[in-house]
Amino acid sequence: MKRTLVISGSGGQGVMSAGVMIAQTAVDAGNCATYLPEYGPEQRGGSAKCTVVVDENEIISPLASKCDTLIVMNEQAYEKFAKTLRAGGILVANTSRVESEIKKDGITVVEVPADDLAVELGNIKCANIILMGALVGSEAGIISEDAILKSLDKKFASKKKEVLELNHKALQLGIEYGKKAIG
Amino acid sequence: MAKVLMKGNEAIAEAAVRAGCRFFAGYPITPQNEIPEYLSWRLPEVGGTFVQGESEVASVNMVYGAAASGCRAMTSSSGPGISLKAEGISYLAGTQLPAVICNISRGGPGLGSIQPAQQDYLQATKALGHGGFKLMVFTPATLQEAVDITYKAWDYAERDRNPVMILMDGCLGSIMEQVELPEMKEPDRTHTDKWSLNRPADSTRGDRVLTPYFPEALLELQNTSRARMYERWAKNDVQVEEFMLDDAEYVVVAYGIASRSAKEAILNLRKEGYKLGMIRPITVNPFPKASFEKLDYSRVKGIIDIELAIPAQMHDDIELQVKGRAPIYEYCRSGGVLFDDDGIYAAVKKICDGGAK
Repeated sequence: MKRTLVISGSGGQGVMSAGVMIAQTAVDAGNCATYLPEYGPEQRGGSAKCTVVVDENEIISPLASKCDTLIVMNEQAYEKFAKTLRAGGILVANTSRVESEIKKDGITVVEVPADDLAVELGNIKCANIILMGALVGSEAGIISEDAILKSLDKKFASKKKEVLELNHKALQLGIEYGKKAIG
Repeated sequence: MAKVLMKGNEAIAEAAVRAGCRFFAGYPITPQNEIPEYLSWRLPEVGGTFVQGESEVASVNMVYGAAASGCRAMTSSSGPGISLKAEGISYLAGTQLPAVICNISRGGPGLGSIQPAQQDYLQATKALGHGGFKLMVFTPATLQEAVDITYKAWDYAERDRNPVMILMDGCLGSIMEQVELPEMKEPDRTHTDKWSLNRPADSTRGDRVLTPYFPEALLELQNTSRARMYERWAKNDVQVEEFMLDDAEYVVVAYGIASRSAKEAILNLRKEGYKLGMIRPITVNPFPKASFEKLDYSRVKGIIDIELAIPAQMHDDIELQVKGRAPIYEYCRSGGVLFDDDGIYAAVKKICDGGAK
């Protein structure tokens, strides 16, 4: 089954690295995946969006109009892309930066104050990992918990032990939020 | 070999190395920067040379020098940079030197935008520089196809002693998908040993690279022989995907990223009973004329040209082949605005329902 994930936020929040990691995790688990980044000329602060399509079969078009799962990392991303989420889809919102009241009709909403949680854990940079955890915990069906753990170990293999541990904690915290949201 | 997840630009760069490319010179421009970035560390690993030139003009002329020595050489850029390289590309063609030129195209004209577009079709197929020469122009639609084309590009370039162009939109340059990379190969020097300035040690021949400043009669002779070569391309080297044409009443014509979204729309609309098919040029020069000749125009109700270019640039080539036997419709975006699947679906459906001109 074809599943489409959109991640959006601002440049520097880790939108692209989360997207690449999810695509790589899906591929390592034996799926096909495409990753499409879209951003402006700014390195930091501009609008950043990526689309990841995962399927058991070859993916024809990477240019999906609608998504099954949406991760919004700030207010602008919510305002711009909430309407592209299909009915029955999953919205993971970084409520540290989404100020609007989130419309919940016909979708599953996972509200995660990811920036605040990341700061509490020790580094704001792991906010994207918390949100990825929420995606996994909410059973979005794109990647499994085992697979993302393996990816995390691979990605941070060359870093200090503390960095890997921090990201493990971040992922677990996110997973708890995801699980809670789907009851 | 296992498939790996790679970015389009990096996949092209790695395929070039595996094809035996050992010289790259270029100048930065989005959305092709990952090609030089990748080759800047990868080429030295295999004993090759990477140069970030002081300009596009310098870079293409470095490629000119490397190509004259028989080295598999490459440059890449995007629209504005390709315009600057035009003189050098014409010189490569005039001197009959093989090289690969990659255009990861973006919105234009002028500085345009850094977002993906297909607005360099006419430049690539009709006039890449002065003097009326042509290149074989390949337009891959998947990263696997981009890898396979890049891997073979120098074989064509050396066979013809003529540069080859890979024309790919910035979207395919920046997406990631799985590719199977080919084995490293040693370049076949059968062709280049006959003429290159880097002669084999036992060779008794003299240099056989002539500057493009010829006596008139010799230049006419060369141009005549090149014209015959273009005719041979049209006969032997066309690459095209003909998709679901057997019963098609509407035929989409699209290449590169546009063709992928179009294919998705065709499959979805077929489920609703619309008889759609597609001609997807893999070479836009030579253009797949025969695919249009084979169509049964008593059945075909319309041709739909889908491109990331306004005005549509492939339209004239299509019109020359359709010869008024069916109406030609267009669905185009431009300037860096990308297609999306729903947009193409709705536009094609509207055309089939008779609601669009």
